[in-house]
Amino acid sequence: MNKMKINTKSPLGIFSLLKGFRLIYSSAIVSLAAASLVRTVTFILLRHVIDNVYANHDLVNQVLPWACAFIGLACIEGTASFGRGILASFATKNVIQRLRNFLYDHIQRLRFSYHDHMQTGELLERVTSDVETLETFFAEQATEVGRILTLFVFNLTALFALNTTIGLLSIVFVPVVILISMIFFVKIEKAFTKYQEQEAVLSSLLQENLSAIRVVKAFARQAFESKRFDGENQEKYARGRKVVLLHACFWPVSDIICTIQMLLVFFVGATMAIQGTITAGIYVACCGLTIAIVWPVRNLGQIIIQASNAFVSFKRVAVIIEEKQEMEAEDSLKEMDTDLKGKVEFNEVCFRYKETEEVLDNISFTCKPGEKIALLGSTGSGKTSLVSLLPRFYPYGKGSIRIDGRELRDIPHKIIRGKIGIVEQEPFLFSRTIRENIAFGVERKVTDGEIKAAAEAAAIHEVIKSFPRGYDTIVGEKGVTLSGGQKQRIAIARALLRDPRILILDDATSSVDADTEHRIQDALDVLMEGRTTFIIAHRIQTVMNADKILVLDKGRIVQEGTHSQLASKDGFYRRISELQLSGKKSGKGKEKLYA
Amino acid sequence: MPDKRFQEDDHSATNKTRTILRLFSLLIPHWKLAVVFLALITVVSVQDSVFTYISMLILDTGVIAKSLQRVTELLTVYFSLSLLQAACVFGFILCAGFLGEKIQAGLRGNLFDHLQNLSFSYFDRTPLGWIMSRVTSDSRKIADLVTWGLLDLTWSVLNIVTTMVFMFIINWRLALIVITIIPVMILVAVYFQKKILSQYRIVRRTNSELTGSYNEAITGIRVIKAMGRENECLKEFESISGRMYGASYRAAWLSSLFLPIIQIIGSLALGAIIYFGGIQQMEGGMTLGGIQAFISYIWFMLWPIQQMARVWASMQNSLASAERIFNLLDMKPEIENTPGAVNPGSIRGDIVMDSIGFYYDKEKAILTDFNLTIRQGETVAIVGPTGAGKSTIINLICRFYEPTEGRILINGTDYRQFTLHGLQSRIGIVLQTPHLFSGSIRENIRYGKLDATDEEVEAAAKISKAHEFITKLENGYDEDVGEGGNLLSVGQKQLVSLARAVLGNPDIFIMDEATSSIDTLTESLIQEGLNALTSERTSIIIAHRLSTIRHADRILVLSKGKIIEDGDHEKLMSLKGRYYNLYTRQYQDEYSEIAS
Repeated sequence: MNKMKINTKSPLGIFSLLKGFRLIYSSAIVSLAAASLVRTVTFILLRHVIDNVYANHDLVNQVLPWACAFIGLACIEGTASFGRGILASFATKNVIQRLRNFLYDHIQRLRFSYHDHMQTGELLERVTSDVETLETFFAEQATEVGRILTLFVFNLTALFALNTTIGLLSIVFVPVVILISMIFFVKIEKAFTKYQEQEAVLSSLLQENLSAIRVVKAFARQAFESKRFDGENQEKYARGRKVVLLHACFWPVSDIICTIQMLLVFFVGATMAIQGTITAGIYVACCGLTIAIVWPVRNLGQIIIQASNAFVSFKRVAVIIEEKQEMEAEDSLKEMDTDLKGKVEFNEVCFRYKETEEVLDNISFTCKPGEKIALLGSTGSGKTSLVSLLPRFYPYGKGSIRIDGRELRDIPHKIIRGKIGIVEQEPFLFSRTIRENIAFGVERKVTDGEIKAAAEAAAIHEVIKSFPRGYDTIVGEKGVTLSGGQKQRIAIARALLRDPRILILDDATSSVDADTEHRIQDALDVLMEGRTTFIIAHRIQTVMNADKILVLDKGRIVQEGTHSQLASKDGFYRRISELQLSGKKSGKGKEKLYA
Repeated sequence: MPDKRFQEDDHSATNKTRTILRLFSLLIPHWKLAVVFLALITVVSVQDSVFTYISMLILDTGVIAKSLQRVTELLTVYFSLSLLQAACVFGFILCAGFLGEKIQAGLRGNLFDHLQNLSFSYFDRTPLGWIMSRVTSDSRKIADLVTWGLLDLTWSVLNIVTTMVFMFIINWRLALIVITIIPVMILVAVYFQKKILSQYRIVRRTNSELTGSYNEAITGIRVIKAMGRENECLKEFESISGRMYGASYRAAWLSSLFLPIIQIIGSLALGAIIYFGGIQQMEGGMTLGGIQAFISYIWFMLWPIQQMARVWASMQNSLASAERIFNLLDMKPEIENTPGAVNPGSIRGDIVMDSIGFYYDKEKAILTDFNLTIRQGETVAIVGPTGAGKSTIINLICRFYEPTEGRILINGTDYRQFTLHGLQSRIGIVLQTPHLFSGSIRENIRYGKLDATDEEVEAAAKISKAHEFITKLENGYDEDVGEGGNLLSVGQKQLVSLARAVLGNPDIFIMDEATSSIDTLTESLIQEGLNALTSERTSIIIAHRLSTIRHADRILVLSKGKIIEDGDHEKLMSLKGRYYNLYTRQYQDEYSEIAS
């Protein structure tokens, strides 16, 4: 999908979302104007019938056609209202669907650094509820404002046509009503936002409590938790009362002002009718028209305030739309003509996430196709950052990375990622069937046989078979909750099926018990065969068989060599391996490490 | 854990009348507010019809009779009544609004308290999202139904009735015509509202699918990008958003059709009034004001009918919400204090598991005839593969679950004679996945002992080796940990939760895979701190890093719910059995390499 072109400079840019559906949306506006116009005509007609037909006894036989005319007008009005609703909805739903699809695709293609800094909840909020706000704006609020305004204009025009004085008098209180309703709804909106914020506080408190219910029970803190919840709950009650109080003030106050406006017209109209300045029909029509002007105007404030939220939402969504995608300007890059062999060379590579701190500093090493490279180091030493450069998750700064002799940044994302398999510490599985999860990494159709073979190689087939639905078991909340080790083995099966040339194992066996680890290790051995493999681990046993071990510290390679080379040298590696090997025996060594 | 697919309870068979009664019984504690708002709404709905009647009098006895004095009188009455009306509106919004908030807050409070006491098994089989929406959205729906729903319904019915009465007073023949149309309007309105509502349910369902899909794209972005699956994922999303389009477009169709259709049906009555009323007026049987009043009544009647239909149609839905909430409130905790249970104060003493049988799922027994004695002060480690029953033993000792057979004695007393609080508050437990609460680190550690001083908190943090990293943080102990503790790394969270358990100075100390996400160096430091802690109290440790447990007084090797080896490290090594195999497999390679 291409870039979306919208005008984000002014709030009115919101209407640029309608592109392609402007004609239909305009037709909706025309329909609503037509409906308003017919309503006004109805009053004029009523006046005509009262003054000219009812008053004339010779015209008894004309009453029926006139009555039918009213029904006819109602039918036209109804059709126009329906047209307004359905046309506006058609345009809106199409625009929103297009926006949703675009946003989904856009999110997938945004750079990693964007996702690192954007919180999931925040992003999700924008693409769901902000988009819904836009939907409501186009489908309901904008047309409702249109309806009230056209009713106002047509009815007022009719009033002026019937009698100028009444026309003038009919709107003296309208500014007051609009002003009051704006003032109140700004307040109500504020109070309501506070109320909703408290609602959110309450939900996250509840969520936290429920997900930590084991801790609550283990510490027997039920009473403490209840007290905490009660405090927030009472606060929400108090904020709710404020919202209610504002509503309770607004509606009667505006009721009275509208009534005064209405009664003013009644009084003046009645006086004029008694004096004979206007006919009874005009009096009736004026009363009706005034009612049709005053009461809808009262809702204008509410709708305008609510609709103004849409402009805020638009800005929030527009910020995402303007964000750069990672694959832009990639068309010039050539495809790989030959199969990737898996030779990887790092030459003085530097990398940083932010301007300030260097995460990788002058990294250089070479590995031949099929070699196993182990990365060891404490948290924050740059292991994961280093392997994240290979699939081009982040762009590297200085230096060069060559894959089979070709500069990595000249290889298209899609191509290089197609050759790399990753198994992460906490693998992400989708809430779909196990079958779909294993087959997730391949584009072609996969047979059940292949999936089973991959699962067997990953030592997970037996587990899957023990589920009542086997490979059709859904993973996650809607189905079974898998243990860390089970998830990891499914991720290994998923990577196996992809048949990558380069494999990255990012701490793939840390959260499993000894027995399972052994089985995963066997599965990994199968997986690593003949592939260039990068292993991140903090257990010596996992890394000792590597062709090359790189020990990282603060973004630099501090030690490099095979296990036997490193174990015989004094240094980080030897200390770690001694510690893991003998538990307490190396008590003296520890102090040195922390000194 | 066995496959416990969650199934929503089926309510179709339950008694609807009982639910409705119970629903309205929520109003009983606040009956004064309820009575006031119902009285006010009655006045309001009667007055709404009176106003139109006064307008008729103004036209007939004032304007047409050419009496300005009469007009002035009537307008004064009109205005006075509208002041009364405004006061009533103020009153009923206040009453109904406060009542709604009160009921909602009350329900939520009750649900929350109730949830705190439900047993683990309930949380094991019920998804969190399901419980969340019971407490948040269902409680709102119920509160809305018994306040605004009741109010709208009362207003609509009374309004239609009083309107009818006034119509009969003005002209009974015309009233009869209108009365034939009202039921048609109501029926059509209810029909449409039901359809609209069920269509919106589909929209909401599709919408949560849509949200779920977005959520996966965001949280699973690494996998999607790494595997280059963007196009396929987009295709899937497009099919969901396409369904969303269809569903919401159908809903829009129905909504757009609804009011015009009701209006057109109403216009039949209008036409009839213009015709019959007009002819009668010409013949002198009907006044102009009467016609005007009838027209107003018919136009206005759309609203009560619409409201009535809306409430009626959403009733079904709200009743389902009510049933779900009531079922949750009625749910009995599977583990409760036995009558006469006492708080033991201290639970120091031997723990005896006496011929224990236990299952989560009847088909699959986890433990059968299981016997274990842990002596006071002993440090016992349990090893074994996943599913061997390690965590089950801990769940039973903490009485998160009760044995289905046999008994557990602590210091010679069946622990069912202790209160849950008395037992659990004396156990300190560190779980595999550390859960912290929003707030500062200090608050989180203090969770282990609510009245602990800052010094005690820091002392506990020092023992658990959390102190070092905490003091390096910008705000030290006052650093905010974020929602669920997410601003800290897993290892840091684990250290804090360890400090939390240490602070409680428990009689029994349990660590369930508590150190797996802590690096080797830190773990060995923690070990030293813990040695002091575990030396005098009973400790149970589950770990899969064997170096962690080598120095335990006793190591139990568990397999399929049975203890197959029992002894200290040296003894088990000399047995050359399962433990020996595990241990040597984990370390043999290192040994050979180091030795060379």
